[in-house]
Amino acid sequence: MEIRVEGLTKHYVAEGRTVKALDRVDLTIPANRIFTLLGPSGCGKTTLLRCIVGLETPDDGEIRIGNEVVWSRARGVAVPTEKRGLGMVFQTYAIWPHMSVFDNVAYPLQVRGVDRATIAKKVAAALQFVQLVGLDRRSATRLSGGQQQRVALARALVAEPKVILFDEPLSNLDAKLREETRKELKRFLGELDITAVYVTHDRVEALALSDSIAVMRAGSIVEIGSPQKIYFHADHRFVADFIGRANLIPATVRGQADGLTMIDCALGAFACAPRELPPGSEATLCLRPEFLHLHEGATRPGHNVVTGRIESLAFVGEVYEAEIRAADLLLLARTGPDTALREGDTVSLAVEPEHCLLVSA
Amino acid sequence: MNDRSARLTYGLIAIVGALTVAPVAMLAFGSFTAGLDAFGHFTLAKYVAAYTDPALLKVLGNTVIFVVGSTLLATVLALVLAYLNTRTDIPGKFLFGVLAIVPMMIPHVLFSVAWALLANPSNGLINRALMDAFALDSAPFDIYSLSGMILVEGLLNMPIAYLIIAPAMASFDVSLEESSRVFGAGTWRTLLRITLPVLRPAILAAFVLGIVRSLASYAVPRVLGMPGRVEVLATYLFEMISVGFAPDYGKAAALGMSALATSIVLIWVYRSLTSEGGRFVTISSRGWRPTVVPLGRMRMPLFALVTLLSFIVIVLPVAVLAYTSFVPYSMVPSMQAFAQMSWRHWTEVFADATSLLALRNSVFLAVVGATVGVVLSIFVAYVIVKLRTRGAALLESLTYLSFSFPGIVIGVGFMWFFVHTPLYATLTALLVGYIATYLPYGVRPLASAFVQVHAHLEESSLVCGASRMTTMRRIIVPLLIPGVVAAWILMATMFLRELTLSVVLSRPGSEVLAVQILGFADDGLWGKLSALGIVMIAISTALVLLASLVGRWFASGAKARLEANA
Amino acid sequence: MPPLDRRTFLHLAGGAGLAAALPSALAAEGGDLAKAKAEGRAVFYANITAVEPVVAAFTAETGVKGEYTRISSSKFVSTVVTEAQAGKLLADVVQAPLPVLELLREKGILAPYRSPAAAGFPDWSRPDDSIQMFGIEYVSYLYNKTQVKDADAPKRYEDLADAKWKNRIVMADPASHASTISWLVGLKEKVFASENDWMTFVKGLAANRPMFVASFGPTPAPIESGEKAIGISMPKYIVTKAPAPLAWGPRGGQPLLGTPRAMAITAKAPHPAAARVFMDFWLSPKAAGMLAKDVGEYVLTPGVFPPIDGIHAAKVLPIRDLDDAEIQKWGAQFKQIFKG
Repeated sequence: MEIRVEGLTKHYVAEGRTVKALDRVDLTIPANRIFTLLGPSGCGKTTLLRCIVGLETPDDGEIRIGNEVVWSRARGVAVPTEKRGLGMVFQTYAIWPHMSVFDNVAYPLQVRGVDRATIAKKVAAALQFVQLVGLDRRSATRLSGGQQQRVALARALVAEPKVILFDEPLSNLDAKLREETRKELKRFLGELDITAVYVTHDRVEALALSDSIAVMRAGSIVEIGSPQKIYFHADHRFVADFIGRANLIPATVRGQADGLTMIDCALGAFACAPRELPPGSEATLCLRPEFLHLHEGATRPGHNVVTGRIESLAFVGEVYEAEIRAADLLLLARTGPDTALREGDTVSLAVEPEHCLLVSA
Repeated sequence: MNDRSARLTYGLIAIVGALTVAPVAMLAFGSFTAGLDAFGHFTLAKYVAAYTDPALLKVLGNTVIFVVGSTLLATVLALVLAYLNTRTDIPGKFLFGVLAIVPMMIPHVLFSVAWALLANPSNGLINRALMDAFALDSAPFDIYSLSGMILVEGLLNMPIAYLIIAPAMASFDVSLEESSRVFGAGTWRTLLRITLPVLRPAILAAFVLGIVRSLASYAVPRVLGMPGRVEVLATYLFEMISVGFAPDYGKAAALGMSALATSIVLIWVYRSLTSEGGRFVTISSRGWRPTVVPLGRMRMPLFALVTLLSFIVIVLPVAVLAYTSFVPYSMVPSMQAFAQMSWRHWTEVFADATSLLALRNSVFLAVVGATVGVVLSIFVAYVIVKLRTRGAALLESLTYLSFSFPGIVIGVGFMWFFVHTPLYATLTALLVGYIATYLPYGVRPLASAFVQVHAHLEESSLVCGASRMTTMRRIIVPLLIPGVVAAWILMATMFLRELTLSVVLSRPGSEVLAVQILGFADDGLWGKLSALGIVMIAISTALVLLASLVGRWFASGAKARLEANA
Repeated sequence: MPPLDRRTFLHLAGGAGLAAALPSALAAEGGDLAKAKAEGRAVFYANITAVEPVVAAFTAETGVKGEYTRISSSKFVSTVVTEAQAGKLLADVVQAPLPVLELLREKGILAPYRSPAAAGFPDWSRPDDSIQMFGIEYVSYLYNKTQVKDADAPKRYEDLADAKWKNRIVMADPASHASTISWLVGLKEKVFASENDWMTFVKGLAANRPMFVASFGPTPAPIESGEKAIGISMPKYIVTKAPAPLAWGPRGGQPLLGTPRAMAITAKAPHPAAARVFMDFWLSPKAAGMLAKDVGEYVLTPGVFPPIDGIHAAKVLPIRDLDDAEIQKWGAQFKQIFKG
């Protein structure tokens, strides 16, 4: 089911200041896709999610789920949360501690007045789906974090909603479990015909899970696109910076040549992936560390090559992370774990034009 | 949703306001009215008369010492007990539950009288025992003194403080303490710098409630302060309305307005000191167990101290009451006294039709009143803690309004109010008056309980398609059970021994226990008074046990169903 | 027959010297009793305590249900006036110290009624046509006869000022307790020869640093238990607290003083006939006997005395009716003397 948000606005007053949690947000969340709202804390992503589910009341705008307007200021519509027929997994899981696993999962069916036999069947199916068979009689408080998370998922799915919402559901899990659960979640959601709206501040989670990502900042959506588009072809400096590690260097556009966009920056002249930018305009050059190729020794200056000195070298497992001083800038680069480079070495950095991304200034 | 929250808030403000503003407003009218009623010619004379008495300054000085002293004692005792119970490996933890509840069941007048028998300077039992044992020339204790009053009032108010602080202590996130220890702070420093500040909201809540309560308290000043010639606001007010046969309650109300204003200011100060998120101890959502602090060598000495405290607070007064109910008149324990013991007072009390009616009425008021009161308190606490709508602060203040007015005056306010309604002279009037006056006893524990119910638990129920009422019934109330039980116990035991309103509002057919007890006290019939007092304590005990059992039954309901199905 | 007619009849009968010829006061109630039964109950507001047996006897004897509510004297006026102004005065009969009923009469709350049952009472017991006094709330000193030997016991009021009783006396707070204030003032007017003698006594009593309690109720317990030796209290406790070792004084001929206990019917009594029947019963020798015997009350019914040794020989006098301004004035003065 598609979700359409139009002109959604929500202000808070905190300590005498008005905070724009949502600032005229327009958004279409396509049906049966995993759609992620990504952004730093305080960007409004959770508020947007809670407005969709009905736990917060916007100040202005309209929200449609499928063909139904669930909230509209202009039309005076406000469908209460419980009538929106959604599923949701909370950051804290919100497993009711006074109920068993079965009762937790059965709850959405019970409140809909479903008969007992059907409830038993559907709960069993849901628990099987999340691989919790045999735990249904256990007290919900005596589950591990991962199990609680799955109970929450089973509960969100059991009534077969057309939309399921996730509010940072993995943030309370430890790193390894988070990775496993993320993969499972992707598999679970892939098997269902369901629209999933997923809120997170973790870019890896967003990239790995989503069909589409909307990056938010200060109550507005900055950019929407597929994970690849967001990562490789972001339009905005903020997005490029937020979605991955990046060296961001102010640049001036010189012109277009050979299907590439030529720029000048503190590192010299660079040929970059093509962008429709007029000569003389300001832009930001975005160089991802993994695309900076290191070679020992200085090189003749030229396009897309820079000479610098390694200031620090840190072993982080699968790679070394190097900080390289070049033309008064400190650039982050990566090199293989078997490198012979040492701190203080002079190196040359080369980068292919297609990995030189130009984003907004 | 906002609309509904606002509707709920304003609905509750209307209900609570009607309950608590009406009597106070009547008293306010009375304080500005010439004559003895609530309505008539406007005058400021009563304020002038009430506030220009040169003796007032001394009285206020005593009052401040008494109120702050007793509240400090109650809060510190409650803190220590709560800490020992929830955080340490002290043995005999059941004692703490008993300690926290029993003093609430003993009518304050009886508790004070028992202490007068124990520690009066002429022949108090403790004094005589110590004088005999150590060959002292004079009595070591004088209960008829400011410090004696502070001790007894402090002990009486301790349970309320305990019931507020203990749950917060129990749900305290221990990692806060642990991180302090990691940074090199010792146990004491951690306690002073981390634990107590984080618990500040609960401690302040207990402290404010204690101040408000002891400011309005009358039994202790009457029984212990008057013989010791220590005048505090309550006895000063009593003197004001008892000299002569046509007492001017308006003038007393004029003075009571200061107590009210003080209480309201305190409540607002409390709200601002603990604004927003800081108001309540927040609890992490993951399961965690508070670490138990081993007491080591201090374990048994501390246990001995708690046992001693239990003895002083529970055993001694109850024993004194039991003893008094069996001897024919007030006698110092002796062979002669034991030889004369009989059931006479008991049979007389049980043969008295009015006492039996009073018993029935009081039990009815306790059970029904506490139940209705708790239901109302659930909604009020919900708005105050969870919805936090714009009117929440007003609502919270309103709950304290009748509560913080000196008891001997507020009853008259209720009479002036009820006489204009068809409820006058009915049991329902008492019911309504009780609930209105003691609403904080229901709201406070429930507010603490609500804090522990994470908003997500409730929201996820809504998302699952449950209505707000279903959510309340199936999610919130079951999770609130400990708070509900605490609130019910506080209200029921209070209603069972309620005196200040009852003495003004009870009429033929609506007699209650405390009024009956007061009648015995006025006739100096301590024997009957003690017998009825013990009956009252027994009923309170039964109600407390019942409430705890029902609470446990509810709490274990889910578990029991699991095991039955397993 | 409407009540007014009956009263007119009684007045006429009295005037014609026929009252004595009536078979008995209660017999004349035939008409009222039937009406009272029809009304069903009589509501009695009183500050007197422990009178449930008397009310029960009334119910048993007349078949009209007596309902008794105890209202302390400090709340009496306020309660009754509040109810009356709201048109909700529930009481048919009110009983309180005389000054209280005087206040109520001034406010038009009392109805005129002269009960035939009080025919034998002294004349001063009927200050006007509505209020009838029936007893005296007699106050005096009590002492613990096991602690205080008869030879040492105070014989006269003056002896209470003896320094040997220092710290051994208990009394209601003379700054606030109206009955105690009235009693002290009564001593000045009815016992002591001069105001100087009286003031010497009061200051001597104050110098003995008595322990203060809120009212008479808490006075006997400290005497019984031996916490204090003497109390300014009510001799009726000798009856109600038997077998406590209490004795009373002065026995040497000085009078005992007390505020008169008075009663009246309310002007808008919900059960007017029952009110009259109740008052007649209350003033009857039978009720008076119960009050004296069970509660230790001093009643005005001739020949009826509480079962207290020597009390029949005592002179028990009513204290002059002090108004509130006077009580407050004296209260302030006693506060100065006793606590200043």
